[in-house]
Amino acid sequence: MIRDRHQQAQELIACGLRDLSLSQQAWLRTHLDECASCRDYAQAAEQFVRALRSVPVVADRALVRTTQMRVHLRSRQLLQRRERLWLVWMSCVLVGLSVAITTPFLWRGWEWLAERAHLSSPVWQVGFMIFWLSPALAASLLFLARGIHLTDANGTSRG
Amino acid sequence: MNAAACYFVNGMESETSAIARGLRRRDPDLLDRLIEQYQHRLLRYLLYLTSNRELAEDMFQETWIRVLERGHQYDPKYEFSTWLFSIARNLTVDYLRKKKPASLDGLLDEEEGVSLDPPDLRPSPLELLAQHEQAERISEALTGIAPEYREAIVLRFQEGLALGEIAAVTGAPLGTVKSRLYRGLNALLPRLKGAQA
Repeated sequence: MIRDRHQQAQELIACGLRDLSLSQQAWLRTHLDECASCRDYAQAAEQFVRALRSVPVVADRALVRTTQMRVHLRSRQLLQRRERLWLVWMSCVLVGLSVAITTPFLWRGWEWLAERAHLSSPVWQVGFMIFWLSPALAASLLFLARGIHLTDANGTSRG
Repeated sequence: MNAAACYFVNGMESETSAIARGLRRRDPDLLDRLIEQYQHRLLRYLLYLTSNRELAEDMFQETWIRVLERGHQYDPKYEFSTWLFSIARNLTVDYLRKKKPASLDGLLDEEEGVSLDPPDLRPSPLELLAQHEQAERISEALTGIAPEYREAIVLRFQEGLALGEIAAVTGAPLGTVKSRLYRGLNALLPRLKGAQA
């Protein structure tokens, strides 16, 4: 039981006074008044803390400046990436809008041409689908090729 | 809560909110200011965490890059330093795991026979000699104890973090933090006494 009280006191000392409740502080103070070994422990801990805080560990200017430079550089890269992404999104939105607006007119145009050329409906409709999808297919293939090229250049694929 | 405490808490909240807003904007001026403000505390923590000046400086730079990239995740309810230290810790643990599959707790094996880099003391005049010796004594004693104890002690007594904040940084329960502090101090004090004798 006595040992438990000493251990309890030392645990409280190790936690530091700042985080102790008022009742814990009062109990600890009373215990330290009575117990010489715990008082020694508290003094040793206090001396250590004082010594630890006096250790002058400092970052040198070069490290700080290099870090600030790297942070600025990365910040610019992130900004550029965000701008690029914004451009891609805007292009997608514009393409989507233009497709939605122009498709009905194109469809009617193809229908009219097919009538003049006496083509059957399935034929001109398949032709229209190919014409309509070919830019997207070409762009996809281009992006795919570029993606593969970039991964190859970074050496991260084709293990 | 009394008026003074209320003023203090509100003041802290407005400061952390300003930091959070700046981090969301990736404001380079704010980051410059934060780097200046926390340079010594962060490096000191990393030095004691890694026991290696070169690695600590690398982690110092990586930590600030991560702060820039993940700034939007900072919650202004908490102290900035708590968030900063937890980023530094996670980066260091990840790095050490990649280098050699081990947690922070496994660092001890690597450190045997290696003394903690002495603090950055430039060629000092005679009056700094005693201080330098004391710093070396403390560094050696700290190196000799388990890394998780060392980390808790440095965060508590050098950086002045509250127990809850240490728990947030290390991801350990409050009870574990308390026991690490107690065991760490128990391991440390005899070493310091021995060194003084």
